[in-house]
Amino acid sequence: MEPISTPHDYLPVLVQAAIAVGFVGFALSAAAFLGPRLHGRKKEESFECGIEQQGDARRPFSVKYLLIAILFVLFDVEVIFLYPWAVNFKALGAVGFVEMVVFVGFVLAGLYYVLRKGVMRIE
Amino acid sequence: MDQGIITAIRTVPLDHYVLLSFLLFGIGAAGVALRRNTIIVLMCIELMFNSVNLLLAAFSAHHSDPRGQVFVFFIMLVAAAEVTVGLSILVMMKRIVDSVDVNQLNRLKG
Amino acid sequence: MAALFYILAAISVISALTVVGARNPVNSVIALVVCFLSIAGHYVLLNAQFLAMVHVIVYTGAIMVLFLFVIMLLNLNKPGGPRKSLAMRLAAAVAGGLLFLTLAAAVRQGVAITPAAGFDPGVGLVRHVGQVLFTEFLLPFEVSSVLFLSAIVGVVMLAKKDKDEAPDPHITGPERARRTA
Repeated sequence: MEPISTPHDYLPVLVQAAIAVGFVGFALSAAAFLGPRLHGRKKEESFECGIEQQGDARRPFSVKYLLIAILFVLFDVEVIFLYPWAVNFKALGAVGFVEMVVFVGFVLAGLYYVLRKGVMRIE
Repeated sequence: MDQGIITAIRTVPLDHYVLLSFLLFGIGAAGVALRRNTIIVLMCIELMFNSVNLLLAAFSAHHSDPRGQVFVFFIMLVAAAEVTVGLSILVMMKRIVDSVDVNQLNRLKG
Repeated sequence: MAALFYILAAISVISALTVVGARNPVNSVIALVVCFLSIAGHYVLLNAQFLAMVHVIVYTGAIMVLFLFVIMLLNLNKPGGPRKSLAMRLAAAVAGGLLFLTLAAAVRQGVAITPAAGFDPGVGLVRHVGQVLFTEFLLPFEVSSVLFLSAIVGVVMLAKKDKDEAPDPHITGPERARRTA
């Protein structure tokens, strides 16, 4: 009988998350207390010297990237199927292999369509 | 050890999972009716999906039946496909009518 | 364990309310990410570890990033935008609350389930879920690949603009200006 992992095994994750959040909170609040604060137009610029900055970072970008982001989500979700399959690879045998080949075949058909449509080509 | 896991899963009564799931579903449903921004409406629909997923997972764990969790898995996949198509429709809507207001979608009527 | 559940439940409900109430769409997205992470915590408490992993990867890692991407793309990262009238918002909140009350009243006697013959605590592990997925749910698994194929084709059809197309008289706004230019 192999050991079963339980929610208790996730305690280190919780501790690590608490440390990460705690450090960020500590560092930010300590910086606010300890550092001197100066305000001014020059002081609040992102870069003190170099090229003049224009606009802010939150500007809309091109629609061309939208399709790539969406296709990433779809293929990302398809990859999720591979995890339980890989864990059960030996138990499923040849049938499981054929199942996955059919699945990946459909996915590759989608990828072929995407490539033929020239979605990935950004001019 | 085995007994410890069983009690760990069952410490929280199933009713509380059911109530939490209903509460999240109610908030999501209210949000769909409340907001006019299409992207928030889509997010509220995701919230409702997740409340149902939580309910399925809770029943599956308490009943020790893995089929409920496979169901949740498929719901997540369908939600991902739905979101991608929904968001591309949203982007096309913004480009064509220059708005993300759900009320603008009445232009679909013929 | 039980205390952890109630803390996570409180985080879920508060962040869900923030999703609905926030004026700025970016704040809504961040609140929804917090809500989804707390739901992943619920899955871990239920020992549904496969679901917890998939949930974090699919929802927090992919879907919410896509939402944020679209908000930045459409330049919606400002508070405001169209709002419903106060009466409509009040009616929506009351309707949601009544829906919750109705559902809660339906289960006020409590939920009784008859557990399976032997309680198996390892039911949510990747190996068990995978075994059921690839044997009993083989057809839905293969059909879902067709669903993804159709989603890919649909998205490409919707979002890819063809080079030469006549201006559509129904299209107004900036898209018409762009196409006729």
